[in-house]
Amino acid sequence: MRLTYLLLVGAPLVAALVAALVRPYLRGVGVAGALLSTLSLAAALRLAGQVLAGATPTWGPSDMMRVDALSVLLAVCVSFVAALAAWLGPGLGRDEHYTPAQARRFRIFSSLFAFTMLIAVTANNVAIMWVAVEATTIASALLIPLHVSKASVEASWKYILIGSVGIALAFVGTVLGYFDYVHLAGERESALNWTSLMAAAPSMHPRVMALAFVFIVIGYGTKAGLAPMHTWLPDAHAEAPAPLSAMMSGVLLAVALYAIIRWKVVVDLAVGSALPDRLLLVLGLASLAVAALSLVGQRQYKRLLAYSSIEHTGLMCVGLGLGPLGAFAALLHLVNHAVAKGMMFLLSGRILDRYHTTEMGEVSGLLRAMPVTGGLFAAGMLALAGLPPFGIFFSKLSLVRAGFATGHPWLMALVLVLLLAAVVAMLAQINRMLYGAPPAGVRVGESNRWGLVPLVLCAALLVAFGLGGFGAFQTLLDRAVEIVSR
Amino acid sequence: MPLPTGYTVAIAQTALALLLAPGLVGLIRWLKARLQNRRGAPVWQPYLELRKLFAKEVVVSSNASWLFRVAPFVVFASTVAVAFLIPVLAVPSPFDPVGDLLVVVYLLLLGTFFLALAGLDPGSAFGGMGSSREMTVAALSEPTVALAIFALALGAGSTNLGQIVARTMADPAAAVSPGYLLAFGALFVVTLAENGRLPVDNPATHLELTMIHEAMILEYSGRYLALIEWAAWLKVLLFFSLLGNLFVPWGVATVLTPSALGWALATLLAKLVVLAVVLAVFETRVAKLRLFRVPELLAVSFVLAVLAITVSFLVR
Amino acid sequence: MDSAFGQLTVLGSSLVLLCGLTLLWRRGSAAHIGAFAAQSVALAATAGLIAVVTGSRELWVVAVILLGLKGILMPILLKRMDRRFGGPRELEPYVNTATSLVIGGLLVVLAYIVTWPILDVSRLPTRAGMPLAMGLIFVSLFVIISRKKALTQVIGFLALENGIALLAMLGTYGIPFIVEVGVFLDALMGFLVMQIVIYRIQETFESIDVEQLNRLSQ
Repeated sequence: MRLTYLLLVGAPLVAALVAALVRPYLRGVGVAGALLSTLSLAAALRLAGQVLAGATPTWGPSDMMRVDALSVLLAVCVSFVAALAAWLGPGLGRDEHYTPAQARRFRIFSSLFAFTMLIAVTANNVAIMWVAVEATTIASALLIPLHVSKASVEASWKYILIGSVGIALAFVGTVLGYFDYVHLAGERESALNWTSLMAAAPSMHPRVMALAFVFIVIGYGTKAGLAPMHTWLPDAHAEAPAPLSAMMSGVLLAVALYAIIRWKVVVDLAVGSALPDRLLLVLGLASLAVAALSLVGQRQYKRLLAYSSIEHTGLMCVGLGLGPLGAFAALLHLVNHAVAKGMMFLLSGRILDRYHTTEMGEVSGLLRAMPVTGGLFAAGMLALAGLPPFGIFFSKLSLVRAGFATGHPWLMALVLVLLLAAVVAMLAQINRMLYGAPPAGVRVGESNRWGLVPLVLCAALLVAFGLGGFGAFQTLLDRAVEIVSR
Repeated sequence: MPLPTGYTVAIAQTALALLLAPGLVGLIRWLKARLQNRRGAPVWQPYLELRKLFAKEVVVSSNASWLFRVAPFVVFASTVAVAFLIPVLAVPSPFDPVGDLLVVVYLLLLGTFFLALAGLDPGSAFGGMGSSREMTVAALSEPTVALAIFALALGAGSTNLGQIVARTMADPAAAVSPGYLLAFGALFVVTLAENGRLPVDNPATHLELTMIHEAMILEYSGRYLALIEWAAWLKVLLFFSLLGNLFVPWGVATVLTPSALGWALATLLAKLVVLAVVLAVFETRVAKLRLFRVPELLAVSFVLAVLAITVSFLVR
Repeated sequence: MDSAFGQLTVLGSSLVLLCGLTLLWRRGSAAHIGAFAAQSVALAATAGLIAVVTGSRELWVVAVILLGLKGILMPILLKRMDRRFGGPRELEPYVNTATSLVIGGLLVVLAYIVTWPILDVSRLPTRAGMPLAMGLIFVSLFVIISRKKALTQVIGFLALENGIALLAMLGTYGIPFIVEVGVFLDALMGFLVMQIVIYRIQETFESIDVEQLNRLSQ
């Protein structure tokens, strides 16, 4: 089990080292990186199997690292999207819009990015988790301006400044939690372990923990893209290169939410779930509202996808505030969203490469110019909009049921109205993009056919999740929900 | 309770303050001159100025109203009233029930207000300009006086100045507490602002565009001018006594015996000289701030006072 | 606070907070860098004081790192950056100086209200300074959102980190060493990355006025 874990986190680290050491950039480095990412994914799946069999392994001095059902669920998501990005990122194929130097930068930092995210979700020590989340900001901030332009530089500045400020506030929350624990138990070394915090939670001071949770939610919520701290997100996710956006939208937001979830479980025990639930509901609803209103009249497809990420994160947040059933909906949504958004951003990368424009008004005839890409793009849009048979439909349904079950009928009505607005806004644009004739100068016919294979796999997964999913996945999900709603 | 002696001491204290004030300002001017490598007028020059002004004829603008003639008396009277309420020499004063922090602030503000009105009254351009500037400065500095002393009052449990002094003498460690230091900083900046010293206002300037206090009193002459100048100098002495006696209260007489009072006089003179030196050096070093920067400086002192209160509140 | 130790730590915390308020008062970059350096030195001194009284070796190391990294190294790097693309003195901030200072004072009062429950819990003699640390956190946040120059925003962020470090020191006499090291590394890396991004901004926009970063507005 230790070996599996080392493979999980070590593979991306090795990939980053390899890319850093090899100068000038060789195609083999990219291939090695892609293979290592697959290895990481395999390790994650293996760990998932072990956790399902009943183990919750821990490693490191004073049990710094620990894997339980929730961790492994997210680890699988992270490694999956990271593998997607590695296989479809710059530096592998012949049809390239990136210089070797850019490809090398991408390989180094995207692997580091994956490494830090994996550390964050498998850390028992909440401070290590914090350090890892901060490191994700640093690793990804340098990649956003891969193509240097005024817009991308502006986006990366906003990202790193707002992200770092948010993370700093999350640290204040962490310090306050530590402060409370130390005044109860006095011990130091394992004081920041989530397991220790859980054990001490019932006797912690409610007001201090409530204050800590407010800082945690605002801090990690900034990284998750919750309104009103979301202002960096549309810019950063739209200006970043497609594989990076896939990772950021798909899994980084999920990792930030994971951090909030870990703390929420502790605070629920210390303060009771009324305050945390209400806080999450308010922020989730605000994010939904902001996203829905911004989606209307959106003109660029990458920004459209970015605002959609805010919308979905808001939904997940609302779900987390609605008790166990809502938590189930949120986690199911998390997995589906990771796959769907990853796929969509990578597809948008292909569209950008072909059409050379990010304006939706200038993209037309997608189905004729790139049939498979267009078809997958349409499927992804339908999935994100929450239409059956895709998994997101079921997670939204569960969410609404949870809302009614916990006595928030009006809230659910509002959520449904906002969702409807978002759906209409997104689907209205897709027609124009798909049909008609492609503009002059755009080549017809798919290029890089092999690159489509992983994306088709994603779409298949989305349908599979919707149609009932895999038994093992269900069990894992149930176990994770158990952890969240203790 | 030696009642007559109490009132006697209070009156004597005020008379002493009135007597010393011109000397104090003369000392400051002399020190500044020496620091600037000049001979400077002798320390008793302000006394001679007062004598000269009282002998001179009063010239009043034809546009001036009754306010113009009344204002110097109001200003002088209010400043003298403040002298009764501040613990210059002795702490147990018969005016203690009235000697409240807020009363002191109001009296100071009364003087400032009337002076500003008097600047406006003759209808001259310089007077109006000086008055508006003075009110800007006063609006920002008066609250700070109250807040800074309030921070000390929080520790003493009463806004009575005598009690604040007594409390600090009883608990010496409090004098170096952060609350006290912050309040001192705030009060020092306010002293500069209220008395028209650098960097807020240059008391020696006669350039029209840089005057504040001088501009308001430009129309005055003769005994009116004497009263106003004397009141201004008295204000300097009173602020110095506040700074000295609230923050370094040792020496202030707690009993009204001749030896205690004599010792109090000696320490008062010492504190005044020290503060005069500090002020002279500070004024020589610092340049006058441009007018729109003055609110920034006063905002700093305001924040220092707020901080002083916050920190003192915790100490409690 | 009766004990001398408590008084001194509150004094140190007040100095740290006052340096933070100086960021709102003064306008030039040189003044800001100087205020940040002074703040870090005061923070290191407070850490050293706590280390002396509690006998914690880890805190000594923290104090030394604070002094070296934030008191000396970062100001040098900041000055170098300022010389390279300083541009004019701080442009008129979004909120004028006097109002900023008043808001800063109110933020300190707010911090005091927010940390009231924490003061009830803590039994350490250093607890009186915790609201000041929280006040610094709020004031630094305000500096970041109300100033226009990218360099000032970075200094505001570094001051924010100082505030958090002070809070940790006063509340729990520091945090576990390995975490402290991780935090320092993160801070350093973050700072370097910010430097690189500012360099990029200067290259593409030819100024580090954040107002220019307004292309992405939809």
